[in-house]
Parts: sequence; structure tokens; C-alpha cells
Amino acid sequence: MGKRVSAESQKEAVLQILEDLSQIEGVEAEILTKNNGTQTRHIAYINCSPESWRELAECMKYDHHIDYCSMITGIHWPESAEKNWEVVYHFLRTGVIDPKISPNGSTITPNITDTRDLSGKDVPIEVQVNIAIPETRTPSVASVQDIWIGADWNEKETWDLVGIDFDGHRGMRRVLNPHETPPGYHPLQKQHKLRYHGFEEMYDDAQGFLRKAPDAGRVK
Amino acid sequence: MAEMWISMGPQHPMTHGLWTLKVKVDGETVVDTEPDLGFIHRGVEKICESRDFTQITTYCDRLCYASANTWSHAYIYAVEDLLEVEVPERAEYIRLIAVELQRIASHLMWLGAYGPDIGNLSIMVWCLREREMMMDLLQELGGSRMHYNFPRIGGVKRDLPYGFAQRARAKLELFKQRIQEYESLFDESTVFLVRTQGVGYTKAEEMINHGVTGPNVRAAGVDYDVRWAHPYSVYSELDWAPAVERSSIKGADCYDRYRVRVTEMVESANMVLEALDRMPGGAETHYEPKDPAIIAKAPSRAPEGTFGSHHFEDSRGESMFHIVGGGEGRGKNPYRVSIRSPMFITIPYASKCMIGYKVADIPAIMGSFDPCIGETDR
Repeated sequence: MGKRVSAESQKEAVLQILEDLSQIEGVEAEILTKNNGTQTRHIAYINCSPESWRELAECMKYDHHIDYCSMITGIHWPESAEKNWEVVYHFLRTGVIDPKISPNGSTITPNITDTRDLSGKDVPIEVQVNIAIPETRTPSVASVQDIWIGADWNEKETWDLVGIDFDGHRGMRRVLNPHETPPGYHPLQKQHKLRYHGFEEMYDDAQGFLRKAPDAGRVK
Repeated sequence: MAEMWISMGPQHPMTHGLWTLKVKVDGETVVDTEPDLGFIHRGVEKICESRDFTQITTYCDRLCYASANTWSHAYIYAVEDLLEVEVPERAEYIRLIAVELQRIASHLMWLGAYGPDIGNLSIMVWCLREREMMMDLLQELGGSRMHYNFPRIGGVKRDLPYGFAQRARAKLELFKQRIQEYESLFDESTVFLVRTQGVGYTKAEEMINHGVTGPNVRAAGVDYDVRWAHPYSVYSELDWAPAVERSSIKGADCYDRYRVRVTEMVESANMVLEALDRMPGGAETHYEPKDPAIIAKAPSRAPEGTFGSHHFEDSRGESMFHIVGGGEGRGKNPYRVSIRSPMFITIPYASKCMIGYKVADIPAIMGSFDPCIGETDR
């Protein structure tokens, strides 16, 4: 039997963190249980209003040691008014601390975690934070670049591809699109369709005689 | 002396792909750096929105040519989370074998590419020779040499072929012997030691805050690994421990990052050997494709409002997919697929940690983080 963090200890840790976080105004927290897979997963699933995001982030990092920002996803929902845009954050609590220096002073003693001893704020957990932004043409949420430096390039990417801006983000620029992309062009917004979208090349036009981009001449 | 910006890339042997590292130098010293990515951005996330769940696997294979299998598995685990599919245990064992073989192949590709970076050309052919064995094994599973398209939603494409277990055992035992030869080529080479030891120090806590995981953080003396922290597949059934390096007090240098990957390859080889022994039904049995023992039935549509995600230990760090259901074709396509690439986050960090070193150290530091631009640019 190899080492693993048990589902029970993760559930306990998630419930503990949810209790604290749901005290913050504008935050709804619940536990999300996924039963497929070889082990049940318990995820702290948090819905947060854009105004209280900064407060929640600081609480998560400094009070609950959630030290690792995994991913930021921006989603465009053009048909919905109250959730026109959505930002999904994925965090992990890794519990990584710098290893101690060994007595001879020249090397370190590696941190080998014994998963049976983990308790409280050391248990690795998953956190998902959803922030819904109401209908607007200039969506933005507060940046957490200074709390988790790992969020820096994730935020750049989210702005670049989806067009959700991050207030207080320093050094925002295009990262995946070319630098000379026109302002306001963010390809993952839903009004941008793939060329030949909905066009069954293989069946409708095998030779490609009719092939022409529907937005030819309009989009750079 | 006057400072100036020079551009390393997009065509430069250091870059291991197509990207630019802008370096501000003062004489020979690096003062500041700025990575510039996106040269091979293919818009995979946008393409995925018009493909159904099965078709996307092929795109995920092509995210990284050195580590195709881990990427398609990372995607499949997220889809199974979205569609709530339970996978047969035998399929999980086969997946574990496929992923760990791919991890060895990926690390060997890295090691082979890292040798020429720092002036040791003979290591390239040695590593590719060993990688060939892994690729032969993977080819038996997936049918092709590089982009296997092996996992399916709910299981795997086909069972282990006849005689696979025997061949895999022989090749992995041979590999474990041969990897000892590397120590005479690397650890006893003065050129290699001089160029890797004492450059590119990184600390564990700092790396985690910057979003760097995987072998790079384990080189700094912590054993954090998604495979035990957020258990998936059947890793917890096997007797294994993540490779951890005893680094210096200043943190992990390039040499530690090399050592940890070599240890990890041996660990992965042992894992595959153990999985072959413990597989339910036995490794010599062969089930026909679509047999319920290796693939479970899975729905093809995900209704609106569903989402799924899965943390996955890629060979370069933690990769993950976030998939939102309810796209076109009444949920046949995903509404949004978002990809977390470990290298997209690691490259900015790696560029910052070379500040203060000499220009000649840049290839040694950058290469030791194992950059792969296919997954970075997506």
C-alpha cells in the first residue's frame, strides 16, 4: 500500500476551511464530492462576488495556507445577464515548506511527508473559486498577482484569450496572441467563430470548392 | 558598463522550441529577463469547443510531442470527472503503465536534449537509444510512435498485447542497468559538473508560490507529488515513493534537477514492473477491445451547468484541465476547455531565476527546467 492522503482527512480539512470562509460577506462555500475515480475527492467549492474576492484571497492564503494557484479559467456566457462572464480559480494546498538544514550545515534534510500524520492545515486539499461577473463590456476582477505569483501569467493568459481584465495587475500584455493583435480582440469570446465553423468539409464539400471563411474580409 | 537587451530566440539552441528569451545584460552578467511566448499558439482551447469529447483526445496528444500520453490522460481524467464515469481497475493499471512509460521516455528526451546544451554530445544518442525501447513499448499499446491516442473515456483503447509483459520486463530491467552507465557519463564528467553545479538555485517555497511543481520542486528537497496528495488511478496500490533530492542549503541547482529526474525514471520503471505483477486478471491475459474489463460505458453528452477538472502529475509538473459541459450539439461538445500547462508557468519563473548568473549559464539553467513549447503555447 503506497502513500496517499485519505479521503476522510481531506473531507475534514475541507469542512474546516469552508466554515471559516463562509463567514466572509458575499461568499457561499460548499463541499463538492466526486465519487468516480479510485478515491472519493472532496473539493472546497466557493462562489464569491467580485467585490469580496480580494478579502477571500487574503484569508485563503494567510489564514489557511493555500499556497499554490494552479489555474485561472475565464468563461464567456453571452446569453446570461447575471453571469455574463465567469472566472474559475483552482487552488491547491500543498503544505510545502523549505527543508531544514542538516546538522553538518552543508546539505538539507529532505521533507518526507508521512501522510498518516497529516492533520489540520497540513492536509493537501483542492479549492475551486467561481466568480460571476454581471453583464458588462469591460469585465474585471481584482488581481491576486501579489498574493500568489503563480497567478501572474495565468491572469495574463485569461486577459489575452478571454478579455477579462484584472484590476491592479502590473505588466499586463499579450502572451499567446501576437503583440500586434488589435485591442479588444480576445479569441475565446463566443462571438468569434472558428472559420469553417459548422461546415462539414468532409461531407459537404470534399474538394473544397466552396471553402471560404464566413468572415472573409472583415476580420484581420 | 552599458546595459543592453539581447534576444535569445526564437531560433536558438537554448530554447528547446520556438520562443524568445529577452535578456538584459551588463557585460557578461544577466541583469533582467523577459520571456516572450506564443510563437506556436494553435488555439487548441478554441478548436476543442467545436469537437466532441472523443475527438479532443487527439488534440491533447499533440500538446507535447515528448510527453503525449500524459497529456491525453490528463484530459481523459478531467472528462471522466465531468461525465462521472467509473473506470475498471484493470484499465487503471494499463493507464498507469502507459503514463509511467511515457514519463521515462519524456525524461530521457529531456536528458538527451540537455547534454548538447552543456557540451556533452554523446549523451544525446545514449538517451535516444533507451527512449527507443520505451517508444517501442508504447507503440505496442497505442499503435503509433509518438501520438498514441491511447486512453478512451471510461478505459483504454486496447488491452496489453500478447507478450507485452515479458517484453516490458526485459526492457525495463535492461534500462535499469543502462541508466547506471549514465553516471559515468554525467556524474564523472568535469564539464558537466562545472556547468551544472552551483547555478540556478531555487527554493521550494518560492517555487510553490510561483506555481512550479513536479520534478523541479522535488529537486529542492520536498516530496510533494499530486500522485499521493490527490490520489487518482491506482498509485496508492503500489509501493513507491516520489524521487526527492538532497539539495544544497541554497536550494536546488541544475545538478539536483538532473539527479531527481534520473531517480524518477528508475522509480517509474519500478512502478511499471510492480503494476505488471499486480494487475487484476494478470498481465498475460488479453481482453478484446471494448470488453467491459478494460472500458466502461460512458455518456457522450454533458448537460449544461456541469464542469469537471482533474489535477494530474505530468512529467513536467502539475497539469490540469477544466472542462465545462453544455456546448454545441446539445452538450456533445464542451462549452469551454481550459488547459493548465506546467511549463507556461515555469518558464517565467525559470527566466527570473537566471538573473545574476552569466550569459553562458542561461542554457544550463533553462534546460534544467525541461521546457516544452508545444504545451506552453497550446
